[in-house]
Amino acid sequence: MKPTVVKIDNLVKRYGELVALDHFSLEIKEGEIFGLLGPNGSGKTTTINCLLSLLAFDKGEIEVFGKEMKPTSYDTKREIGVIMQNVAVLDELTVRENIDYFCGLYISDKAKRKACVEDAIKFVGLEDFVNFRPAKLSGGLLRRLNIACGIAHKPKLIILDEPTVAVDPQSRNRILEGIQELNREGATVIYTSHYMEEVEQICTRIAIMDKGRKVAEGTKDELKGMIRNTESVSIEILELPEEIREKIAHLPHVYETEYDDTKLTVRCSGGRHNLIRILAVLQEAELGFGRVYSELPTLNDVFLEITGTALRDSKE
Amino acid sequence: MFWHCLKYELKEVFRVKEFVLWLMLFPIVLGSLFKVAFGSIYSTEIFRSIPVAVVKTSENPVADNLLAAMTDGEDATLAATITDEAKAKELLEGGEAEGIIYIGESVTLTVARKGMVPTVLQEIVSRCNLYESVIRDALATDPASVETVVRKLSAEVSAYREVSTSAENPDVYVQYFYNLIAMVAICGSMTGLHVSTSNQANQSLLGARKNCSAAPKGVYLVAALLGSCIAQSASMILCVTFLRFVLRVNFGGSLLLLYLSAILSGFLGVAMGFFIGSIGKMKHEGKSVIAIAFSMVLCFMSGLMMGNIKGILALKAPWVNRVNPVAIISDSFYCLNMYSDYRRFLTKILGIVIYIALFTVLGVVFTRRRKYASI
Repeated sequence: MKPTVVKIDNLVKRYGELVALDHFSLEIKEGEIFGLLGPNGSGKTTTINCLLSLLAFDKGEIEVFGKEMKPTSYDTKREIGVIMQNVAVLDELTVRENIDYFCGLYISDKAKRKACVEDAIKFVGLEDFVNFRPAKLSGGLLRRLNIACGIAHKPKLIILDEPTVAVDPQSRNRILEGIQELNREGATVIYTSHYMEEVEQICTRIAIMDKGRKVAEGTKDELKGMIRNTESVSIEILELPEEIREKIAHLPHVYETEYDDTKLTVRCSGGRHNLIRILAVLQEAELGFGRVYSELPTLNDVFLEITGTALRDSKE
Repeated sequence: MFWHCLKYELKEVFRVKEFVLWLMLFPIVLGSLFKVAFGSIYSTEIFRSIPVAVVKTSENPVADNLLAAMTDGEDATLAATITDEAKAKELLEGGEAEGIIYIGESVTLTVARKGMVPTVLQEIVSRCNLYESVIRDALATDPASVETVVRKLSAEVSAYREVSTSAENPDVYVQYFYNLIAMVAICGSMTGLHVSTSNQANQSLLGARKNCSAAPKGVYLVAALLGSCIAQSASMILCVTFLRFVLRVNFGGSLLLLYLSAILSGFLGVAMGFFIGSIGKMKHEGKSVIAIAFSMVLCFMSGLMMGNIKGILALKAPWVNRVNPVAIISDSFYCLNMYSDYRRFLTKILGIVIYIALFTVLGVVFTRRRKYASI
């Protein structure tokens, strides 16, 4: 069994009356890419800030690499790389100087640091921009610089807090591939995001958060296995008589139908050939229809079923 | 790790455009404007040995003694040329003498123009006549007391000379340059403020980023403070050097002490900014406005914008000048310039050091937190 890298036990954080973290617990094993998924305001960043000992909390315990995490745990912090939600670099320093500066907060040896800085520059693909100042970089390049500053010292635990917010698709893919590469090289990764596709794409295990609580935890298949939905069929249809909708609703494995004047959505739980059976009903009634598509459940469905609101619709 | 942080702090500070503009270029521009504005007045008002022609029409031992006291030594009040009346008039008309002092039964003065120098000469002549009449009265009423009277008057003459000549540069306009240096020093609060906010997790992203690194907070905080002090010292040295050697402002006193005083004043500015930055949770921009406004009020009260405000405050609320850091800085230059002994200067320097210590200690107390209730 792999050793535990991060252990959060019964964490409570309050801001006055607001409970930001409500008895939140977590255990992350070595080599995982652990996703913290939840809408804005669900407590992801608060969890990270508590984990890094930046925020005082009301109750609970946090251990990193088997040791209690304190503001003065410098040896533990040396093994942690942090990529914050917002870019935190020094505006007056160049790309290379910025990476060297942050790397120097972890590594004192100059020769070792120089090699680490060069590796980080290559890793994020900023070779052509080393003498640029941050103000001259695009949003995507700036994010890459932010990542380079966080991982240059080759940490064993990398914490990425929404690193792809406001990033173009090309840079986003590069960042996600980079995270997987770091993981392959041996780093344990904690990845927070409200983009479920990203979390689904790279995370080996996921905790879903809502209102400061952990509402579900597991691999993506385990999470999807927690809900009834196994398939959602959507059909573009302009007119749907109520009796036909009723007929579809009573098909085997169908547990929910939804019609909004243009699109029929049928949710099924288990079974095979659900799509064929639904289309057969429409053909029998001689109803015309447009695009038809079938989707496997997403993490959004998991979130929807557990919390009653869609992940995308949740507000802070 | 400390030197690494210091190196990058210095690189960063010297690349900040606002620092270069406001703390290095602005004082040069403003100093030059002061020099242009006060230049003509300045050149005529500097106190020096006043050249006079002396014409003796009859014996007057009291006036002779007084004249001897006034013309004795390198820093004499008067540079007298004893001559006949015709030559004296020639010197006066040629501008080689500021006035003609006639020594007869009484002492009289002839001058060719109005101004500060003729006023000083008139004062000397009046005193001469006053002393002579005092001694004559003493001789007539109580001859035994003459010795005492002469001794007292001699002491008064010496004191008069002391005030006139030990004031190496009693130019009122140099006060503006003192205030300019004080302003540069206090503007160091901006770098101090940056140190405070960029190292606290609840003030800036950078602060949060540094706080979760493997570097102890004390290391990067002290390195940043030292870096700011070094940068501020550079701007102070540049400012004083430009005023003293390019604009040739006569600050008098010891040059070494002038630089020391300027550098310490710069430290005071940095410490003040550090202290302001450490209070409360307001973001950097808000605190910048507070620091600038506070600095400008202090500069105003020390007379940067209105020369006589300090005098008004000295009469109406003398404690303001005693606690205003800008006034203390400005006074330290004044004391260095105006007084031969360094007692008053050292008192002002002590005040500056106390302020530095106070602001730094309070700043450290407020920023030493390692965990925050909210970010």
